[in-house]
Amino acid sequence: MLDSFEILTTSGVVLWSHTYVPVGANIINSLIRDVFIEERIQPQAEDAGSKPTYRKEGYTLKWTAAKDLGLIFVAVYQSLVHMTWIDKLLDNVRKLFTGLYEAQLKKEHTSMVDCSKFGPYFERQVQELEQSADGATASSSTSVKLTPPSSTENDSAEESAPAQNLQRTQRPLYDTSADSTPVPTPDTSRPTTPAQSHLLTGKARPGGKLSRRDRKKAAGMGSAPVSSGDEASIKRKGKGSAKRNRVWGDFGAEEEDPSMVLDYSQADLRDEASENEALEEIKPETWGRKTGKGQFVLKDLDEEMDAIIAEQNAKKETPAASTGIVGSSLGAIGGLFRNVVGGKTLTKEDLVKPLKGMEEHLLKKNVAREAVVRLCESVERDLIGLKTGSFTTIEATLRTSMEKALTKILTPTSSLDLLREIQTVNAGGRPYVLSIVGVNGVGKSTNLSKIAFFMLQNHHRVLIAAADTFRSGAVEQLRVHVRNLKELSKREGGEVDLFEKGYGKDAANIAADAVTYASKNNFNVVLIDTAGRRHNDQRLMSSLEKFGKLANPDKILMVGEALVGSDSVAQARNFNASFGPGRGLDGFIISKCDTVGDMVGTLVSMVHATGIPVVFLGVGQHYDDLRGLNVSSVCRLLMS
Amino acid sequence: MAWHDKDSWLTAAFAPNISTILISFLVAITLPILLHRWIYRRATPTTLPTFLLIGPSGAGKTALATLIERSSVVPTHTSTAPLSIETLLPEPYVPASAHYRSAGDPAYERARRFLLLDTPGHGKLRHFATKELSNPENVRGIIFVVDAAAVADSAGLTESAEYLHDVLLSLQKRYTGAKTSKGPKEIPVLIAANKLDLFTALPAHLVKSHLEKAVSAVRKSRAKGLKDSAIALGGGDENAIEDDRENEWLGEGGEGEFEFRQMEEVGTGVVVRGGNVLGDGGADVKAWFEWVGEQL
Ligand SMILES: Nc1nc2c(ncn2[C@@H]2O[C@H](COP(=O)(O)OP(=O)(O)OP(=O)(O)O)[C@@H](O)[C@H]2O)c(=O)[nH]1
Ligand SMILES: [Mg+2]
Repeated sequence: MLDSFEILTTSGVVLWSHTYVPVGANIINSLIRDVFIEERIQPQAEDAGSKPTYRKEGYTLKWTAAKDLGLIFVAVYQSLVHMTWIDKLLDNVRKLFTGLYEAQLKKEHTSMVDCSKFGPYFERQVQELEQSADGATASSSTSVKLTPPSSTENDSAEESAPAQNLQRTQRPLYDTSADSTPVPTPDTSRPTTPAQSHLLTGKARPGGKLSRRDRKKAAGMGSAPVSSGDEASIKRKGKGSAKRNRVWGDFGAEEEDPSMVLDYSQADLRDEASENEALEEIKPETWGRKTGKGQFVLKDLDEEMDAIIAEQNAKKETPAASTGIVGSSLGAIGGLFRNVVGGKTLTKEDLVKPLKGMEEHLLKKNVAREAVVRLCESVERDLIGLKTGSFTTIEATLRTSMEKALTKILTPTSSLDLLREIQTVNAGGRPYVLSIVGVNGVGKSTNLSKIAFFMLQNHHRVLIAAADTFRSGAVEQLRVHVRNLKELSKREGGEVDLFEKGYGKDAANIAADAVTYASKNNFNVVLIDTAGRRHNDQRLMSSLEKFGKLANPDKILMVGEALVGSDSVAQARNFNASFGPGRGLDGFIISKCDTVGDMVGTLVSMVHATGIPVVFLGVGQHYDDLRGLNVSSVCRLLMS
Repeated sequence: MAWHDKDSWLTAAFAPNISTILISFLVAITLPILLHRWIYRRATPTTLPTFLLIGPSGAGKTALATLIERSSVVPTHTSTAPLSIETLLPEPYVPASAHYRSAGDPAYERARRFLLLDTPGHGKLRHFATKELSNPENVRGIIFVVDAAAVADSAGLTESAEYLHDVLLSLQKRYTGAKTSKGPKEIPVLIAANKLDLFTALPAHLVKSHLEKAVSAVRKSRAKGLKDSAIALGGGDENAIEDDRENEWLGEGGEGEFEFRQMEEVGTGVVVRGGNVLGDGGADVKAWFEWVGEQL
């Protein structure tokens, strides 16, 4: 069963919602954060057949968007329930909603859309789709709408297949119980949209027999192919809106004059400025007239809906048709004109060439192909259906859009403030541990020393642990760095020492020992250098997991070279995954940025692959050549 | 048929035919009109005073914006796009500039009208707000919304303080970097301590002192932190290229604590007022409306 359906704007305002079971606002918030903002979860392409899904805390969310109007349609239901018709519902509701309220939605400087009359349309859609799903699967009995009482507790069963089996076996039992006692089904106990449900229950009269008959009548009148004799299927259908049905019965019994009911309906359709209270009054009547008298009224709604949906479908084809009428040459001139002046609605074809150019451009900037493709796809997704502004060409629009996408991908969700973190961790009575990983020769030790220097400038007591017990000369190299740093620390303040156990020992143990040593000897920062390893070297990579567990660093940073090309994506991915579940990298240091000029694409590639931010850039040979990331300047370099 | 033939279309186009005259006449008349309409239809310049809603995610900016627009709250979710709302200052509050006007005066009505621009607060989407801040032409004031319950713990406090620090710093830079001797017009800041209905929320005066302390800490660690990459890599803004740490220091030069009072010297009055958008006893946004009225 559907738990909740919301229509919201990209600016965060919920325009319309229908709630069967209250779902915490955080569920949809995390969908927005994870999918739309941080893009941690990749939505599948829409034309892959089904709508993208997102799972969170036992809920499954499906959504679709109307980009030009800035709308998102989200359906929320329990992951255990298998729902086949949600895609269709999302599509239909989108078409209906945009068709009905397009003019209002396009108004500027307001977030208000009077869509209080959308309820009946939605309910009717749900009803219809539920019915047709029922009809289609009645014989095979795979339709599942009941939430099985026991399986809701069972959190481990994430797959929908076992849940389906469970429900299949339980349904007969369930139906009979529902027949004898109509009240305690899970659906009827769920509150609907608050105000309405109170009102409706207040008006409904307990008349089990009557409502049952009317319900049957209502179902029989529906156009979907359902055999009205099938008691079970009607029963199930009725449950979703059991309270409403009772009201239908009421009105069906009371209102005998069809014309009067019809008048009502027309009045309320015309009366746009009706108050909220009046609206709640109208609700039951809308439903009443449907079942009470006049099947034709029900047809009206259906026909209207069909018309809107058809119109929306037709709209997609109009651009092609209109150019055909006006004449292709004039259309082409108009297109050119519009391209210069702006105000052109972008289609996939318009974007092909500029996107190709953009792709080339980014590839030249040393962005990995995979990242380029993804960026271009996301920009394309954003732009299709949009109108270009006045006096902006497609290329310019694409540029701004790409710049935005780059800014978004490079900007960290929260900025890393090492100094404060050190303070917080030290306040807890233990040293702050930072470790550095990366492939061979990217400058791990150098960048570690740069960080150490930065710490010394801030008067910290730093212990450098030589956990590279593999490559000969690694310890000596660090010793030189520490000697230099000691020299410098006389001027800068702070204190630094080296912790080493020679070669061949287990790196994880050395790291853990270093941390203990540091807390005993009053060091407040531990920097751990690790052995460089190829990211496709299984044996060495697997030792990182133990390292992460034993040393348990507060931050693990990976050093990547700005020079590296498309390999950067695999590097970032493999290192991020090497620490086992629940632990990953915390940031990247991109070294040797001074050698690549404006070809700083590696930054984008690495962040794209993992969603982990770049925290430092190495820009030279000196100890103070470490920089924080300035997103806007990097974007400018990339777009130049 | 060549183009110079007698009955080619080109010959007809230059001949004194009635149809040719008519067509060229029509084109000459309608083309400028169409062009004019085309260009001016969309870009209606807004000179309405604008108030920016800024603050960390989940503070209640969108909730406040919808409350101001329709005087009732609607459910909201994390924003991914800015939202601009044209609205009127509600009845009991009087714009400072229209204190002596009567209610029926059209100028009074005009003075009460303003734009509210809600910006997304998520860390990745703050560029919308930064862009507005870098060119605050019509901005009459900034409403910085904080969740008074979230600033009670250190993570929430730090997030709010960092954002606030950056906003105040960009206002300061705008003031000190101004070319004219008079200095640009003042942009005051209201720190709206929201969600006071919650049990865990700090009262407004505590929100103020907590934020001042946290902004001091941010200011200090920013000064000590690494320089950013703009200069080393190039590609920086031409006019922001000078790397002057003095420029980056918010408020007074001394090592002492930061206080919002210090912002007055750079044309930015900062006040902290409490309220709540939601709550059992209904919304309480009096103090904020009063502040908006003072700025109008
Ligand atoms: N208890 C309480 N909750 C509030 C109050 N104001 C807002 N909220 C809730 O706080 C949550 C976040 O509010 P939003 O307005 O969406 O937050 P926002 O500041 O726009 O966040 P972003 O769009 O992500 O930047 C919503 O669930 C609101 O219902 C309040 O005064 N009291
Ligand atoms: Mg918002």
